[in-house]
Amino acid sequence: MHSGPSKTAEAIVAVLVPPARREEVLGDLQERYTSPRQYTLDALHTVPLVIISRMCRTADPQILLIQAFALYVSFLGAAWLRGGAVLSEPWGLLRLAIPAAMAMLGLILDDTYANPGRRSALSLARGPLLGLVLALASQEMFWISDPDLAIPRWIAFYGCAMSLLLSSAVRMLFPPVTGQLLGANAPALGLKQTGASRGGPQAIIRVLKGISAILAVAIVGTWMAERSVPPKAWIAVLLLVLLIAYQVSKRG
Amino acid sequence: MAKPDSLGQFEQLVLTAILTLREDAYGVTIHSKVQELARSKTVSLGAVYVTLDRLEHKGLVASWLSDPTPERGGRAKRCYRLEALGERALQESAVTAKRIWDVIAEVWGKEWAKEWGKRWGKEAG
Repeated sequence: MHSGPSKTAEAIVAVLVPPARREEVLGDLQERYTSPRQYTLDALHTVPLVIISRMCRTADPQILLIQAFALYVSFLGAAWLRGGAVLSEPWGLLRLAIPAAMAMLGLILDDTYANPGRRSALSLARGPLLGLVLALASQEMFWISDPDLAIPRWIAFYGCAMSLLLSSAVRMLFPPVTGQLLGANAPALGLKQTGASRGGPQAIIRVLKGISAILAVAIVGTWMAERSVPPKAWIAVLLLVLLIAYQVSKRG
Repeated sequence: MAKPDSLGQFEQLVLTAILTLREDAYGVTIHSKVQELARSKTVSLGAVYVTLDRLEHKGLVASWLSDPTPERGGRAKRCYRLEALGERALQESAVTAKRIWDVIAEVWGKEWAKEWGKRWGKEAG
């Protein structure tokens, strides 16, 4: 006699639970199974919390802030590039924040649902791509339902292209923490990482990388806004910071 | 030696459950034990997962995947054990709780402490 949840119910739960926790959550829910109703209620009480918990473990607030800045600057730059008319319109700045927020959601979801076992060079671009799709989808929805909330198409396209470039660059500088080990050695590793990030050369490299990323975003933003070559001094400062970061990382 | 963070009440319950279950500490059993320890409060499995994740991140517990079992549809369990830091954090929590109890008993009197001691004895069966 079949005494487990239906395949459909299990498949839905399997899709919703992040891969890093899928095995044990599905197993535990199956072990507790008594009836379809109980399974549904159990899943409803469990899955959202598992997703939020995974989000908290994979998201780094400092990097998220840099990403948010880069994404918003992308759409702001695109608006300037297209004449800046949208900036003077009512709620213009807020409307530009909607696609940036959707792109951010894409990055967070990608980190949450990343499989720690599978890592490839393309995985760094997957999050920004998902963000781009979500940003364009949200704009498409607004263009159909409420055009007042949408930003002009060309600003959306330019902004998405720019955000893809910048957020990929930020992800290359700060790779996501989804590759953390999950196993008996995990806490020791976690402690080492926490300890390393609190001081020493690692902390300096981290700060320098952050400064470099912000400088890069500022240079690109200036270039887009003024449609002119960025000041040489800015580029020189960026190169200098990158050089210091490289030297510190080599010695550290 | 690293100093453990102070624990919340639910974290204390989860750590105590892992301590009592020893080799058999995984999601379902930890949840049952926490439910038993929390008495009247309803505890969701999700809340236990969130706390286990946090405790693992803090380095208080360690986890590993066991072999798959048929009653779980061929899926593995994630087993947990206390790390040295977790044991120390739990000990500190217990000592603090004892200290609080002693002070309250001193202020509110021995009769009060006896009465509560009896009540807890009855609840525990």
